[in-house]
Amino acid sequence: MGLAIVRGWQGYWVAVRLGWAISSNWTRPFLFIVYSILRPISMALILAVMYTVITHNSAAARPYLAFLIIGTAFWSFIQEGVSEFATGILEDRGRYHMLKYTYLAPLGFPVFLVGRASSKLASASASVVIVLLVGTFALGLPINPLTIDYPLLVLACLLAFVAIMAFSITLSMVLLAGRDSHGYGEIMAQFLYLFSGAIFPISLLPGPLAWLASLSPLGYWLELCRRAILHGRVYEMFPQLSDGEVLARLVAAVAGTVVLGYFTYLLSDRMARRRGYIDMESSW
Amino acid sequence: MAGTSPSSTSSRPAVETRQLGRVYKSRKDVVVALQGIDLSVKQGELFGVLGPNGAGKTTLIKILVTLLLPTSGQAWVDGLDVVKDYRALRHRISMVSGGENAGYGLLRVREQLWLFSQLYGMSSAAARRRIDELLERLGLAEVGNRTIAGLSSGMRQKMSLVRGLMTDPRVIFLDEPTVALDVGAARDVRNEVRRWMGEDPTRTVILTTHYMQEADELCDRVAIVNRGEVIAHGTPQALKQQVDEDVIVDLQLEPGRPLLDALRAIEGVGAASAREEDGIDRFSLLLADDAVLPRVLTTVEGSGRRVTGLVRRQPTLEDAFVKLVGRSLHEEDSSGDGA
Repeated sequence: MGLAIVRGWQGYWVAVRLGWAISSNWTRPFLFIVYSILRPISMALILAVMYTVITHNSAAARPYLAFLIIGTAFWSFIQEGVSEFATGILEDRGRYHMLKYTYLAPLGFPVFLVGRASSKLASASASVVIVLLVGTFALGLPINPLTIDYPLLVLACLLAFVAIMAFSITLSMVLLAGRDSHGYGEIMAQFLYLFSGAIFPISLLPGPLAWLASLSPLGYWLELCRRAILHGRVYEMFPQLSDGEVLARLVAAVAGTVVLGYFTYLLSDRMARRRGYIDMESSW
Repeated sequence: MAGTSPSSTSSRPAVETRQLGRVYKSRKDVVVALQGIDLSVKQGELFGVLGPNGAGKTTLIKILVTLLLPTSGQAWVDGLDVVKDYRALRHRISMVSGGENAGYGLLRVREQLWLFSQLYGMSSAAARRRIDELLERLGLAEVGNRTIAGLSSGMRQKMSLVRGLMTDPRVIFLDEPTVALDVGAARDVRNEVRRWMGEDPTRTVILTTHYMQEADELCDRVAIVNRGEVIAHGTPQALKQQVDEDVIVDLQLEPGRPLLDALRAIEGVGAASAREEDGIDRFSLLLADDAVLPRVLTTVEGSGRRVTGLVRRQPTLEDAFVKLVGRSLHEEDSSGDGA
């Protein structure tokens, strides 16, 4: 058992290295760094400008600006994680023709996928810091690194990492069992964007959709991130819930997502092998 | 043990299938890719699976390596059920497919191979030693630090073979491993496969190939698959004996109107195949006896085509294949006339 864990860990890190090598080598290092910095800044500024125009920068709306900026900052974890999973499947299948070999490796395909997607954590983390810095210095958010509740933030992010991986494995296995799967990663990321409370509270969604969104762990995670960074000075999606209650809901939602992801994985894996899609050729 | 082949461990076959079948269904079509496949491959054997395009060879390999589920029957590899025990089985097998440009182009050759060794749980130091050893043997040592995108297709193919061999699987599946390789590279691959097997007498290779000479040279036994069924199996020698009493003649003709069906229709012509090489049509004919040859030449003369060469020769595995399947490996599966 111990040896299996060591080997699994070793394989995971190799997949992280592979993911990093692939995602960071598409251009020269200088351009890669410029792209990695400018992308999150532009994303944050677009939203901030929209917000300023709509609210006329009124003081009463400041807590909502903080809501928007923190949600956008942490959203990059989902964007990067989910899209990298989907890209991993599509690239390995259509571009590198390696999917069947990595799939057959004893490490286990989900561990390999998680490793490849984890490589994006570094750029996603950098993106979070960049957007928060822009929020603080350019938009005047009262973020103070000394008053952030780091234990709550780290715990929430660890739980969210598990949930994002479960979401992404589910998506990847669906891609594996599908014939034409281009664009699904982005569709899934945009779908989660609307349902996670990243840019607006989930209570604004129509009734059944709001209920559906309340089952997702992402809303609770972003709520805890906002509270950990700017407690009391940010718009809250669940003002009636204490931090502990939000955390409890996050744990329950993550557990549900993991169980759902596991069964979807089993089903999709079998479906892909039944249909013979694993070594299918696809265009890239 | 559930899902385990009933044979005892010591005499356990490396590969065993019972009534294995696979049907592909779509809204428009039902294609029977494999049916009723019964095979038993011994440990330490180099077993060839021969057949024309679309015969079902790759489908069989895909089932045995757990990429595809069968729709009927059962199969075991190294005693493990390919459906129930697929996770455990993946520790014991590997697969190399020819004719594809596989590889993470941005990585260096050694990097990619090391990466795979880690996915198989090898220790890093042992993996590096093994990779260097295999790269050296296959003549790739000098390109080990080159990015994969810069390799020729032959080098990539050899690198894939290193990936397949380095984890020392119990059974390796080689699907057309020498396709599109030049003569020297193909010889290197064949030599390495034999040498790898020689390191451990229980290692087993399942090989699909289009090249009859390769199968004849390499394989201990072969199965001939046609339209999803095994129509013959045995040692290359035993299969060649099926055409031992035939007279085998190679005819070279200048190009002209189609002749293959007319030759096949001659009484005493057991089988005929044709291929075009360098603008010359080459026919291989299996004749019941020498008396058939004049009738063949009369037919050729009647067609207006000129004979540029005629050779009587010893039987090959390809002749046995043509007799069993009714066409050569290079002909399409149709009733249309050839050269």
